[in-house]
Amino acid sequence: MSDQPSLEVRDLVKHFPIHGGLLQRQTGAVQAVDGVSFAIRRGETLGLVGESGCGKSTVGKTVLKLLEPTSGQILIGGADVTHLSPRAMWPHRRRIQTVFQDPYSSLNPRLTAGTIVGEPLENFDIARGAEKEERAAALFQRVGLRREAMTRFTHEFSGGQRQRLGIAKALSVNPDVIVADEPVSALDVSVQAQVLNLLIDLQDEYRLAYLFISHDLAVMRHISHRIAVMYLGRIVELADKRALFSTPLHPYTEALLAAAPIPDPVRKRRGRVILKGDVPSPARPPSGCRFHTRCPYALPACRQDDPPLIEVAPGHHVACLRRPAGGDPVPLS
Amino acid sequence: MTAMNILEVRDLATHFFTLDGVVRAVDGVSFDLARGETLGIVGESGCGKSVTALSILRLIPPETSRIVGGSVRFDGRDLAALSEAEMRAIRGHRIAMIFQEPMTSLNPVLTIGTQIAENVVRHTGVPWRAALDRAREMLDLVKIADARRRIEEYPHQLSGGMRQRAMIAIALSCNPQVLIADEPTTALDVTIQAQILDLMLELKEKLGTAIIMITHDLGVIAETAERVVVMYAGRKVEEAPVEALFAQPTHPYTRGLMHAVPRLDADAEIAGRRPRLQEIPGIVPALNRPIAGCAFAPRCGFATERCRAEAPPLVSTSAGHAVACWETARVLEAA
Repeated sequence: MSDQPSLEVRDLVKHFPIHGGLLQRQTGAVQAVDGVSFAIRRGETLGLVGESGCGKSTVGKTVLKLLEPTSGQILIGGADVTHLSPRAMWPHRRRIQTVFQDPYSSLNPRLTAGTIVGEPLENFDIARGAEKEERAAALFQRVGLRREAMTRFTHEFSGGQRQRLGIAKALSVNPDVIVADEPVSALDVSVQAQVLNLLIDLQDEYRLAYLFISHDLAVMRHISHRIAVMYLGRIVELADKRALFSTPLHPYTEALLAAAPIPDPVRKRRGRVILKGDVPSPARPPSGCRFHTRCPYALPACRQDDPPLIEVAPGHHVACLRRPAGGDPVPLS
Repeated sequence: MTAMNILEVRDLATHFFTLDGVVRAVDGVSFDLARGETLGIVGESGCGKSVTALSILRLIPPETSRIVGGSVRFDGRDLAALSEAEMRAIRGHRIAMIFQEPMTSLNPVLTIGTQIAENVVRHTGVPWRAALDRAREMLDLVKIADARRRIEEYPHQLSGGMRQRAMIAIALSCNPQVLIADEPTTALDVTIQAQILDLMLELKEKLGTAIIMITHDLGVIAETAERVVVMYAGRKVEEAPVEALFAQPTHPYTRGLMHAVPRLDADAEIAGRRPRLQEIPGIVPALNRPIAGCAFAPRCGFATERCRAEAPPLVSTSAGHAVACWETARVLEAA
């Protein structure tokens, strides 16, 4: 069992039907996630990066089974949970927990902080009464909150403290996997650093697997071991962090890296590749390669042929017609 | 006022009067903006950077807040002394502003063309037809393709990036001398952000507009600003030309900010391990109680008794570089 990935997703598809017309018949579908596969080992962070509407959050919600997948498979510690009913899913829920972006709307304002963290312990029959209190207190200490804070309500906490509270709650049931959806995006940078450090310490300590969803490439580079870049519902590149940043192979990855502002005025990059136009609607994705409408290197073939995600170097996967496996890559420029 | 400066802010203080007491949102801030220059104002939530901008335009809510001190001189005139009607003639005409969320700052029931033309008619009095021509010209200028069709469209028909372009088109339609941009790209995706920042810099070159770029993002500052003001808890703690600020950040808060941000351009791993980011311990102080001494002292590794008791004045350390810190010598030694 131990060599099973903590979380594995195979060919995951999530479409949202669009209803229209007088009879509200289905007239189309938003292809939010369209064939995504990855696996995360114990102690590993897989970063899922992309711009709004690329489907990264839908992937997160679907693996948590907050959304029913349209097709594909979700395996938690090797167990297929894809089609389990909420009741059958229950024993697996403990193994996968989540930390949300907005610690203001994801914590119940009517409960004390101690109740929020202790409640899952009771729900999963892990501890009750005094033992529950003790465990909750230990969790508070572990995430850097004072024990006295257990009697307070969430509105009395700062943004960073709330995010610590959300992390304590996720940790309370000893999960194997944590899905963290933009966990530091709402925080100021000085507090963001505190929370990122905490997440890394906890991962090293408990060998947690993280599915870390973010639009921020610098945060990704800091926390991830491997990174998957998503565009319009697909993974277009998946690689070890180092390989992705030193030799990005997909034109979209290249453009993302070029667009991110770097805090170094000496390196102002004028004349960098700037993508033109906007992301097309996932309800009507372009034919062929979904990126071809914005790709500065698109070939005529890119309009028809949908490139599969293939491994072009050990561990480095890319979905681009210019990057065939085993052959010489067609030069980009 | 020197002829070089289009805007001079002196000891600006804006207070909010709340049930929890008087919040000193802006607590004595001074800076100059030269003609055609881009000045960055950087700081975290609640540092007063947006309230500073709104105070310049006298747009703070009068029911709860007031400019309690200081002056704002624009092109030689004291804005505080102007009547509301005179102020209206300046807003959107000589000083324009764009905001973070273009969806909430555009009128959802008016077409883009109407919203640009309205501003042009109000400030220049040209006929409506000429104003609509100007609107088309502005959409071309901000590179919205197919301007003839787009001026007939409503904000919801545009993407986020195009809405921000439309906002810029409105703001620049009367050739303002100053453009205040408050987090103009924060709500946008990074590839769209790059487009908008490039557009702003290009238009600045073309039209000679001075820009105040307000942001929390040091990357955006590095790529756009020529000079930078760093704010903390309603006060200016450091000011420097952008190269000097990044080459030698001097205030402990500025240093803390720079070290707290994960870097995109450097390898994050040292011998296969992810290094810890440098944290700034604690949180920003509440502004509804007077702060004796340096506002950053409770979070500062260099703080002494004096820092906690007495607010440090802004002291020049090199050309154009000024820092409000008692312990500058020790900080620089620690570098």
